[in-house]
Amino acid sequence: MADLALACRDLSVAYGSYTVFEGLSLDIAKGAWTAIVGPNGCGKSTLLRALGGLGSVRHGSVSLHGRPLNGWSRRERALRLGWLAQTAIPSDLTVADVVALGRFAHGGWLGQLGGQDEAAMTRAMQATGSLAWSRRRLSTLSGGERQRVHLARVLATEASVLLLDEPTTHLDPPHQEDIAQLLRQQAHSCGVCVISSIHDLSLALMADRLIVLGFGGLVGHGTVPEALAQDWLSRAFGKPLRIVQHEGLYLWQPAMSPLEQ
Amino acid sequence: MARPSNLATWVACCLSITLVLSLAGLLIGTSNLQASLHWITSGDAQFSVVLYDIRLPRTLGAWCAGAILGLAGAIAQGVFRNPLAEPYLLGTASGAALGVTFSLIAVDASIGSLAWAGKFGITAAASVGAGIATAFTLALSRGVVQTSRLLLSGIVVGFLLSAVTSLLLLARPETWRTMQVFLLGSTGYLGWSSTLLLGVIFVACLVPAILLSRGLDALTLGDDTAASLGLSLPALRLSLLAVMSVATAAVVGQVGLIGFIGLVAPHLVREALTVNHRQLLLAAPLCGGALLQAADLISRWVVRPAELPVGAITACIGGTYLVLLLWRRSRDG
Repeated sequence: MADLALACRDLSVAYGSYTVFEGLSLDIAKGAWTAIVGPNGCGKSTLLRALGGLGSVRHGSVSLHGRPLNGWSRRERALRLGWLAQTAIPSDLTVADVVALGRFAHGGWLGQLGGQDEAAMTRAMQATGSLAWSRRRLSTLSGGERQRVHLARVLATEASVLLLDEPTTHLDPPHQEDIAQLLRQQAHSCGVCVISSIHDLSLALMADRLIVLGFGGLVGHGTVPEALAQDWLSRAFGKPLRIVQHEGLYLWQPAMSPLEQ
Repeated sequence: MARPSNLATWVACCLSITLVLSLAGLLIGTSNLQASLHWITSGDAQFSVVLYDIRLPRTLGAWCAGAILGLAGAIAQGVFRNPLAEPYLLGTASGAALGVTFSLIAVDASIGSLAWAGKFGITAAASVGAGIATAFTLALSRGVVQTSRLLLSGIVVGFLLSAVTSLLLLARPETWRTMQVFLLGSTGYLGWSSTLLLGVIFVACLVPAILLSRGLDALTLGDDTAASLGLSLPALRLSLLAVMSVATAAVVGQVGLIGFIGLVAPHLVREALTVNHRQLLLAAPLCGGALLQAADLISRWVVRPAELPVGAITACIGGTYLVLLLWRRSRDG
C-alpha cells in the first residue's frame, strides 16, 4: 500500500503466561478511519498500545510511516502519533493546560506556547466542544466532558496517526455521533490515519474499515461491507449478530424481542 | 491555569505575610518584645549581635527550609500522583535519623560532644543517611517504573531503618536527649552557614524542578498518556526524585525532622488556586516558607524564654489543617 501509515508484522503480546494475540500482521492506510471491534478482553486496547509503542511486545515489529517505531526518537514519534487512553483520568489541571500538553512535542520542556500552538489548541477545543470550559479544572467535569477534553488534547498534537482507545466512552448519543463525524472528517479531509477501538457496534460500523479481533486473534481486517459479507463479527463475538442497513447506515439490531404491551 | 490576577494576588499575600513574619522573627526571641524595641531604639551593640548573628539567619533559614519542604512536597505529590504524598516517603527521614544516631554514638554522644561533632558532622551524617535510604528504596523497588512499588519500598525502608535506630538508642540511651532535638526538629541552630547552604540548595532544586514541571503535568494524565507525549518516564521520575531527595536531605540535615510542611503547603496552594505544576512549584515554596516561619515564631513565643520543638508546632498546625480538610470534604460529600 503506497499510503501506509502504520503496519505491524507477526505481532505477539502476552501478559505473563497469557497470550493475548500472536502472529498479527496489519497494514493500515492513512486517510481512513479504522475501528477495532471485538468482545471484551480480546485485546483491542492491547493492540492499540502495541501499535503506539506503549506496551512491551513479545514478538514482532511495528512501523510508522515505513520506519520501525523504535527508529523514531520519542519526540519525533510523539509528533506523529496521538494517543487517547480509555480512562479519562481526572486531574487538577485546567482544560487549557491539558490541551496544551498536546503541544508538548512541539514546544518541549520550556513549552512557551506560540501562535501556532494556540491556534491548534483552539481548533481542537472547538472541534470537541470543550472551548467553553478552558479555565475549568478537569476534575470538575463529567466523565464525558473529560473524554472530549482529552480528545481535544489528541487533536491538538496535529499528528498524522491517531490511536484512540474507546473515544466515545461516557458520551451521550448526540456527542457520540459528533465524535464519529469528527473522526471521519479528520480521516477524509485532513488525511489522518484514525484507529479507534469502539465497543458500540453501530458506531464502529460508521468507520471506513474494521479490524475484527476474537479470542483467537485477528478474525479479519477490511472494509465494513467485507466484514459483513464474511460475517467476521459473528465469528469474533461467538454468536450470530444481526446487522441491518437503514438509510445507508449499518446498524446492529439486538436479537431480544420487544416487551409485550 | 490560574488566572494571573489570582496567582499574583496570592503571591503578593504570601510575600506580605513572609515580610511581617520576618520582621516579627527579628523582634521576637527569648527576651520579650519590649526589650527588643528598647534595644533597637537605644542602638545596643549586643542587640546587633543577637539580630545579625542569631535572629536574622534563623529567620531566613527557617524560610528557606520551609520553602524547600514545600517544593519537595509538591514534587512528591506530582511524582506519586497522590495528594497525601510527602517528601519523607522514600525513607529519607528514617535514613537521616539513623545517620545522626550513628554519628552520635561514634562521638560518644552527649550535649558537650556535639561541640566536637559540630554542626556539620550531624548535617553530613543526616544527609548521607538520607541519601543511602533513598538509594536503598530505589534498589528495592527496582527503579522508578512502578510508583506503587516505589511507595511500598519507601515504607518498608522507613520501618526497617527506624527499627535499627530504635535498637541503637535502646543500646545507648545517653544519645536520646540529643536525638530528641533532631527528631522533633529545631530551627534554633540555624546560623549563616546553614542558611546559605539552604538558600543555595533551594535555588539548585527549584530550577530543575521548574524545568521538569510540564513532565509533572503530563504525569497527572497517566503513564501511557505521558509516554505518548514523548516523555521518558523513568528518566523524568528519577530526575524529580533526585531533586526531591537532595532537597529533603538538606533540610533534614540542617533542622532535623520537620513534618507536615511538605504535605500541607502544596495543599493550601491547590485549595486557593487552580494551578499547573509550574505555578505550584513556585507557589508551594512561598507557602512552605511562611508556614515554617510562623511555626518558628510560635515555638519561640509560647513558652519563652524556653522554646518548643518547631516540628511539634508544624505537626499541630498540619494535623489540624488536615482534620479540617477531611471534615470539609466529608461535609461537602
